[in-house]
Amino acid sequence: MIDFTLDEEQLMLTNAIQRYAEERVRKVYRDAEEEGAIPDEVIQAGWEIGLLPSAVPEAFGGFGDHSAVTGVVATEAFAWGDLAVTMSLLAPGAVAIPVLKAGTDAQKEAYLPLFCDEKMPKIAAAFTEPDILFDPRQMKCTAVREGDQIKLNGSKSVVPMADSAETFLVYANFEGSSQCFFVPAQSEGLAVGSREKLMGLNALPAFRLTLTDVLIPAANQLGGEAGIPFDLILNCSRLTMAAAAVGMCRGAFEYARDYAKERVQFGEPIAHRQSIAFMLAEMAIDVDAARTMVWEAAWLMDQGKGITQEATVMKHFVDEMAVRVTDKALQVLGGYGYIREYPVELWLRNARGFASLDGLAIA
Amino acid sequence: MRVVVCTKQTPSTTAVITVDAEGKVSWDDPGGKPNVVNPWDEYGIEEGIRLKENHGATDVIALSVGGEDSKEALKTSLAMGCTEAVLVSDESMVGSDTLGTARILAAAINKLGDVQIALFGKQAIDGDTGQTAVQAARKLGWTPLTFVSAIKEVGDGSIVVERMLEEGKEIISAQLPVVISVVKEINEPRYPSFMGIRKASRAQIPSWSAADLAIDGGIGAGASKVDWSQVYGIPPREGSVEIIEADTAEEQARILVDKLFEEKVI
Repeated sequence: MIDFTLDEEQLMLTNAIQRYAEERVRKVYRDAEEEGAIPDEVIQAGWEIGLLPSAVPEAFGGFGDHSAVTGVVATEAFAWGDLAVTMSLLAPGAVAIPVLKAGTDAQKEAYLPLFCDEKMPKIAAAFTEPDILFDPRQMKCTAVREGDQIKLNGSKSVVPMADSAETFLVYANFEGSSQCFFVPAQSEGLAVGSREKLMGLNALPAFRLTLTDVLIPAANQLGGEAGIPFDLILNCSRLTMAAAAVGMCRGAFEYARDYAKERVQFGEPIAHRQSIAFMLAEMAIDVDAARTMVWEAAWLMDQGKGITQEATVMKHFVDEMAVRVTDKALQVLGGYGYIREYPVELWLRNARGFASLDGLAIA
Repeated sequence: MRVVVCTKQTPSTTAVITVDAEGKVSWDDPGGKPNVVNPWDEYGIEEGIRLKENHGATDVIALSVGGEDSKEALKTSLAMGCTEAVLVSDESMVGSDTLGTARILAAAINKLGDVQIALFGKQAIDGDTGQTAVQAARKLGWTPLTFVSAIKEVGDGSIVVERMLEEGKEIISAQLPVVISVVKEINEPRYPSFMGIRKASRAQIPSWSAADLAIDGGIGAGASKVDWSQVYGIPPREGSVEIIEADTAEEQARILVDKLFEEKVI
């Protein structure tokens, strides 16, 4: 039987992150969305909590082993504060965790210590593609072997912090499977395009990336010739994104619940009306159900089990749950929900992105 | 240089406090975290850690008097970056007033030995007396430096600090050892890091009893000079709303000003 009790470490960690989310993130997230930038000191304070080094073994500068369960409970607490801040903080994990799971010894030695530094490393994963039929298992970006080199061609979208990245981990179709490659930002043929204009997540600096006959050493393939277990990496990402959705939706539910208890109309709080109370109950059920699916999948991953089926079911449920819950939160607020001064319209815009975003962050 | 940070567990700032008919106080927190490190003490903990990072302190020891649940506050201190933690806990200490607590803390600080600076938050948010730091200084025979908003220099057996007073700020120097109480302007406390949390969760925190300490003077409820003769909840404030009706905004403003004069608000 699964035990849902968090251990002392996980409780202390989530308390620390929840405080950070309340005291630092919630104070800036709305302005950050409007201005398109998150204050550096807020990111630095979140980075100093040190979630990623906890996944890195001591031999590489960290202090532990990766735990998917710890990752998802931490991600939920971060995302309660704000999704863009969460994606900014966890984006480096989309490089670190694949290196940890699949890197060669030399790659682990070269890259993992970067993620244990006091400053966030300038390295980004380029996963998503600007294609309406984007399929992570059949990427359009190609990698072709040419002697002892690899030639990369294609486009990537929503690459976080690409404007300041010094290295990219680029995913591409290589001999029929999705693999990834370290590409220096200065490589000839690599161009960082304009900043993405997204429906939500405006505070996250995300960019297009184009690769035109970019040549890199064959040794830059993550995992060497063995490559990566792509489903494992994809499932790690999906766990993180789903946990982020749970955190954001918990925030939306709590906001709508508190509003409904305070907003008096026709002589009583609107929460007393069945039409509102039922919506709040359905939101709570949705968030709890999603969390259970996320925790179960994460727990199975920590047991060393394959979770592709669970992660697929979870993703399908969570992507739709996020839109349902945030839409209801907006509905509870009525006309106020549509006004940008209130946060729920941002949460609804952000929620629609979960169905499209893979590979953005891993915790 | 060894530094001690005195800390205690208090109800959280968002806790809902209830007082029953017998004066028994209880509290719960809608966020599920009814107890926290006294928020003022967090500034003391942060300053202790900064003394290690910036002024060569070798040890930063968190010290608390209380029950087993006080270990939570000590673990948070360790997770933030304190190097050691000690709990002082004994049935005979229950009900101590601030002077009794100061006697216990002074004895524990003496037992730790070679301490040059003892840091306190300026007060605790439960009792709100703000007396313990000064009383501990008196018992130790050390200089008390209260309402400190910055530690400017530490070295050669002396310390220079900035004090924040109602009239302004003042810079003063004193010979070590000293007891310092800090105000929130001194720093911005860091969040516990995951590495600190891992160390804290594995730490064995020693617990000292009254028998382990050479306490000078009475402790516990029997020795307390303070008698909590009556404890009661404050009745909710009552108010009323009056909408000022008039034909023009100017007339409304004039009526408003008259009423504010009547109520002696302006």
